[in-house]
Amino acid sequence: MHHTRSAILIVIAAISLTARSAIALPPPQAKPKLGAKQDTLSIRVAAYKIEAKLDPANHTITATETLTYHNLTGQPQQTFPFHLYLNAFRPKSTWVAEDQRDHASHEWKPEQYGSITVDRIAVAGMDDLTSKIQFVHPDDDNAEDRTVMQVSLPKPVPPGADVQFVMTFTDKLPQVVARTGYLRDFFMVGQWFPKVGVWWKGAWNCHQFHASTEFFADFGTFDVQITLPQNEIVGAAGELISSVNNPDGTKTLVFHSEDVHDFSWAASPSFQVIEDSWTGSAGPVKIHLLMSPGNMPSAPRYLQAQKGALNLFDDWIGPYPYGRITIVDPPHGGFNAGGMEYPTLFTADTTWYMPKSVLLPENVVVHEFGHQYWYGMVATNEFEEAWLDEGINTYMEAKIMDALYGKNTSVIRSRFATLGELEDQRAGIMVPGYLGSPDTDPITRLGWRFYDDSAYGAVTYSKTSLVLRTLEKVIGEDTLRQALHTYFLRYRFTHPTSEDFLRTIEEVSGKDLRWYFNQAVYGTNILDYEILDAQSEPLTPNEAKNAGSHSPPDIYRTTVAVHRKGDFIFPVDIEIKFDDGKSLIEHWDGRDRWIRYQYDRPAQLVSAEIDPEHRARLELNLYNNSYRVQEDKRAIHKLSNIWTFIGEWFAQLLAWLT
Amino acid sequence: MAGARPKTFLAGAAIVWRHQRILWLLYFMNLLLATVGTRGAVARSAEILNHSLAADRMVHGFSLGAYMELALHPSMPFSGSRPMMLYSTILFTLFMLFATGGVLMEFYEDRRPTAGNFFQACGEYFWRFLRLMIWFAIALIPVGILIRLAGGLYRRVDRQSISSFTAVHIVEVAAIIIVLVIMCLRLWFDMAQVIAVAEGEKNMRRALKSSAILLRHNFGSLFWLYLRISLLGWVGFCLGLRMWMEHLQPEAIGRAFLVSQAMIVFWLATRLWQRASEALWYREHLPELLVPAPLFPPSPVEQAPSELQPV
Repeated sequence: MHHTRSAILIVIAAISLTARSAIALPPPQAKPKLGAKQDTLSIRVAAYKIEAKLDPANHTITATETLTYHNLTGQPQQTFPFHLYLNAFRPKSTWVAEDQRDHASHEWKPEQYGSITVDRIAVAGMDDLTSKIQFVHPDDDNAEDRTVMQVSLPKPVPPGADVQFVMTFTDKLPQVVARTGYLRDFFMVGQWFPKVGVWWKGAWNCHQFHASTEFFADFGTFDVQITLPQNEIVGAAGELISSVNNPDGTKTLVFHSEDVHDFSWAASPSFQVIEDSWTGSAGPVKIHLLMSPGNMPSAPRYLQAQKGALNLFDDWIGPYPYGRITIVDPPHGGFNAGGMEYPTLFTADTTWYMPKSVLLPENVVVHEFGHQYWYGMVATNEFEEAWLDEGINTYMEAKIMDALYGKNTSVIRSRFATLGELEDQRAGIMVPGYLGSPDTDPITRLGWRFYDDSAYGAVTYSKTSLVLRTLEKVIGEDTLRQALHTYFLRYRFTHPTSEDFLRTIEEVSGKDLRWYFNQAVYGTNILDYEILDAQSEPLTPNEAKNAGSHSPPDIYRTTVAVHRKGDFIFPVDIEIKFDDGKSLIEHWDGRDRWIRYQYDRPAQLVSAEIDPEHRARLELNLYNNSYRVQEDKRAIHKLSNIWTFIGEWFAQLLAWLT
Repeated sequence: MAGARPKTFLAGAAIVWRHQRILWLLYFMNLLLATVGTRGAVARSAEILNHSLAADRMVHGFSLGAYMELALHPSMPFSGSRPMMLYSTILFTLFMLFATGGVLMEFYEDRRPTAGNFFQACGEYFWRFLRLMIWFAIALIPVGILIRLAGGLYRRVDRQSISSFTAVHIVEVAAIIIVLVIMCLRLWFDMAQVIAVAEGEKNMRRALKSSAILLRHNFGSLFWLYLRISLLGWVGFCLGLRMWMEHLQPEAIGRAFLVSQAMIVFWLATRLWQRASEALWYREHLPELLVPAPLFPPSPVEQAPSELQPV
């Protein structure tokens, strides 16, 4: 059913986008022209009109929402589910329970609770349905969870027809816990209105809000009217249509946004606004940066990273078709609101004391902007297949950060110590690392079913990125980039699945990659090779004679044995270096458990190394991938020096008490 | 009020210089115990690193990723290293506690005692200074409460203040106040130790009381003396760190060792400098401190060792 619907959607898209015929199943080499912004980019399923009023003192929003839903499900629909995401912050919700399970030390304070209450719901042409509101729990048996509301209509909505819901609701914003809420005079208002579920794979897809999962929604239009005090500076995920000052000291701002699946906004009287622009293949893009005053030193860093990301995404993946991007910088202490993506708006992250050598502001901007592509336009199901947005985006983040700031210095670049994105994704210094949870869960697991929050982060973000990096070794970096480009052009403004992504890679590369996907994507196989034995021994006279040598002492038998320790079968190269300056590259398919290479040569072994180009980024233990015959103690001397110094210094600090 | 004469500051350094065998003894113990504390982790890591080409990432530069991968290595090379480091740190602390009596005696008298006399003094004052350390720990309790109060104030202001930075400024001010308070406490206890050695005082509460009275009347000069040396210690430490981190080539491992150890010696030397200056200050001001009226009336069972009066 899903595939049929996808095909229908693609045909409709192709018809509606006649000006850009390339959008429908483009050949791998094609790049579309998306200059004309008046075109409809997506299949618009939902049209939201919201009139909201912010009460900053009480941290509440009262609003009326008119949702016009266009029934493209191909069948009559009588029951409609709605996300009420803010109810995740009610006590005893599934979100709170999961958070307490994984973060026992997190003590919930009263001000961190939040909620959304639908005061009234009616359907045009039908009765008031408020009394028919039900809270459903499709993912668990938590009767206390109110993040999914369901309403049954008196009569079904025929296929192709529209139904209009009118709701009044009240938000009680939490002090920022996860992505949304207030902090002092700062408001980050995301996931704040009742949002209809997605008809997907022949059923409604409307999951409860979980601590580790994010969102899923249909494309449409948003006309949002926000009334708030006149001193508030607002950034929103839409074009500002009008701004009117009201006699009561408030102002009303009207925003319009289309071909997006969400609308968020931020407000603070303290914001300092920086405007910039960038021009790409789809035309100019306004960059609207809202800075918290104390973080101003990070503003140029944000802008540089933003423009770098726009350039490289435009060049590598496809055009950014919206005319604006808004970056919101949360104030000091607003870490929980930082690093979150919404269509055409995202929150960045920094601190007032951010050293230049730590590229966190750049990293967050590149990552969150990347979500405009992987989630914003290629709108995958973040509940069920989070790897398709977070993982692909983390891969892209590393590629872009490496290109902009250097491969080994894209996270930390001090003179003394460095850290690259890929190293970080493996080891987990700034992000949950692959090595922390290499085999707990397959990448494709439902978002809330991972072993815990750390495993979700390590597998969904880091492991996926490393899976794609390792795939570069199999199909080539350029081919994978081409595959991502094709995947983007083919599936933007739709809801593709894991298989859509994997099949696109196979199609573009022209290779059957099931052997790889079954291990790396669907499986939890461990990739770990080691040098089991590496040595050179002088041949005995008889052996030398058999080997054809006339000067036995000069001939050595070199043996190199390679062992596949893990259950991940992956072809590898082995580089063997000799002391006469020569080296050999052997290729092993890795199918057997071990392989032994033997050479009789007038030279001794210097070193043997598996994967000398370091392309197999899923390798569990890099230290056993190589063996050098001559010890090199410089690394251990360096470490010993650092550890001794730290030990001495701490001892002196403690001794100060005496 | 007796001021800290300008020569006290430099003369204190001269005492440390003249008695540098103490500095080298303490440094040697510091280095030895730290080496022992890290030995297990070094040996286990050496097995992984010495034959692996991947170790080069920590030689040519210092890859934090490579370091973390070492920490996460299946053989767990760092396991058990923390307790060893802790034990060696505690041992050094105990050694410093033990040595303080001998060190202060040597500095106060400014002459080189025999090894026997030195260690006799160490043993003589060990239990007294242990008691003082317990008192010091008790004196730190209000500081702990102050830290908690500052934390609470920070959180409350951070929630309620419109400005993002009011709370940050509160933390900055609180941190400065807390550091100064802790330094004052340390100075108070340092002087109590000097009095204990100079006067042979056995009652540590009485030594603390004498020190408090002394400080009350000479706080400015003594604290300035203490603070100047502390600041020098920190400046030297930061300069050394800067040289190590930013000016040495990553491959210059031998030079990095020398710089790091020079930092440790300098840090230790400034602490001894404080001790020497305090002892010298007390010795120089002793005539002014002597007055006819005893500070503590002699008890029936114990004679007050000195007659101190604040000037």
